[in-house]
Amino acid sequence: MATRTVIVGGGAAGIGAAGAFKGTMPAGEVVVFTEFEDAAYSPCGIPYVHGKEIPNFESLFLATKEQYANQGIDIRYETMVTGIDLDAGKVGVEGQADVGFDRLIVATGFDYADPGVPGGDLEGLYYVKNIRRAMEWDTVLDSVKTAVVVEATPLGLEMVTALAHRGIETHVIDHRPWPLSDLADPDIVEPVQQAWADAGVHMHFGVSLAAFTGEGAISAVETSAGTIAADLAVVCTKKVPNNTLAKAAGLVLGPTGGVVVDNRMATSREGVFAAGDCTEIPLGVTNVGVQGLTGSHAYSQGKVAGTNAGGGSRTYQPVYIPWGLMTGALMIGGVAFGETAADALGIPYVLGVAEGISRARYFPGVMKLKVKLLAEPGTLRLIGAQMIGGEGIKERADFLAMAVKTGITLEDLAFMENVYSPPIGALNEPIALAAQNALGRLAK
Amino acid sequence: MNAVRFPAWLRANAEHYLLVAAQQRVARRHGMPAPSPPVTLKDRGFLTFFVPIYRRLPWGLRRTVLQLMPGSHRRTWVPRERKPLGPAV
Repeated sequence: MATRTVIVGGGAAGIGAAGAFKGTMPAGEVVVFTEFEDAAYSPCGIPYVHGKEIPNFESLFLATKEQYANQGIDIRYETMVTGIDLDAGKVGVEGQADVGFDRLIVATGFDYADPGVPGGDLEGLYYVKNIRRAMEWDTVLDSVKTAVVVEATPLGLEMVTALAHRGIETHVIDHRPWPLSDLADPDIVEPVQQAWADAGVHMHFGVSLAAFTGEGAISAVETSAGTIAADLAVVCTKKVPNNTLAKAAGLVLGPTGGVVVDNRMATSREGVFAAGDCTEIPLGVTNVGVQGLTGSHAYSQGKVAGTNAGGGSRTYQPVYIPWGLMTGALMIGGVAFGETAADALGIPYVLGVAEGISRARYFPGVMKLKVKLLAEPGTLRLIGAQMIGGEGIKERADFLAMAVKTGITLEDLAFMENVYSPPIGALNEPIALAAQNALGRLAK
Repeated sequence: MNAVRFPAWLRANAEHYLLVAAQQRVARRHGMPAPSPPVTLKDRGFLTFFVPIYRRLPWGLRRTVLQLMPGSHRRTWVPRERKPLGPAV
């Protein structure tokens, strides 16, 4: 029997869900509501267009509107869902009649945390999210002399690097002590800070935001350490779940503010699923819910939700969060815990650190690569990793996430097999060196 | 009530202040600049009382408390069955 599935949100989770639903139930009807002009583009690519590393915004789109229409996916652009009535099985739509559903998928994504200071309504505050606004801001950037990036989150790192690369005098302020300090350890990000210093970036760590000031438009950022004159502020605060609709509808939320789901991405209400940044997912290492993951997580969760909404059967797994990003010539990444996060939770660990190289030492383009591994005392099962280097971080982060997930130990890693081919891999794998370092420390 | 208000409040504050305290310790270990000192009464309260008490609890007890918190982890998340070990063919 054909059913109608309504999806609220047209980002990675929403579009992933729509495609999976149609793949599972080709005769079923799927309607996607998005408040934006477009669906399914890569917002993660926006900083790299601003930094001129990607030539244009058009390449960030995954498919055309016609392609979605041809697949039978009915996307209602620039259409705001105003409410969800779970008992009646319908959503309220601004300026239009209500739309009924048999299955609902909530994929409402995230908002940036409110900086909570005066001046938040001034012009010249840029929240990187919508590609059409990013296109407009990109033109504005041509005339910006000085910009302040608020908080050195992953997006903050990318925006600092992009603005500096563009020749804009760039300041970054963060009340935390170093970049990415909720995620990465200080020794891992130290080369990033050095690269920023070399690029002329003004870093203000341990400095709190006090206000945005100006007459109509921003002209300065007030901080706990003084005033920074600025034409632009890029607000890169923490991602928080956009769950106004879900909360009002009565769906159960977790302590992170994300919608509570199970491994089918099913919510507390029968026939209602949720996916992406609006949900919370258990972290495999601790079995504690986390929220605000990556676009690849959102897309996969959407696929699971869409398949199950269409009558199929697919399950998602607890996450181990391989992550990575590029900042200038440096790649930084990791899996689950670093020292700082493990220390915060009070998780006991043994540590191994090593510096290795990405290719044979004599091969042109060889780069340094630092690996830090954390393992559970006793069993020596890997529980986290952090890395920085010039290349090869992403592949190692993916591999190490599987290693954590499957219970691989330091002993397994210390004498692992590795590809040795001068252009792509050194004789000694840096991961193995870090594991050997940990075992050496334990033997002392 | 769908929002778990106290657990949400506790989670947000615990996460924040445990990270601040950890950043202080890790920064000291690596010879890096420490985070800015506590400013508000709430900062002082959490850093003076909550963090030391949390850290004195044995890890097993902390883990039990974390598992008892509401959230997605309390719903069905069955680990996928592992393939048998040994040669594949």
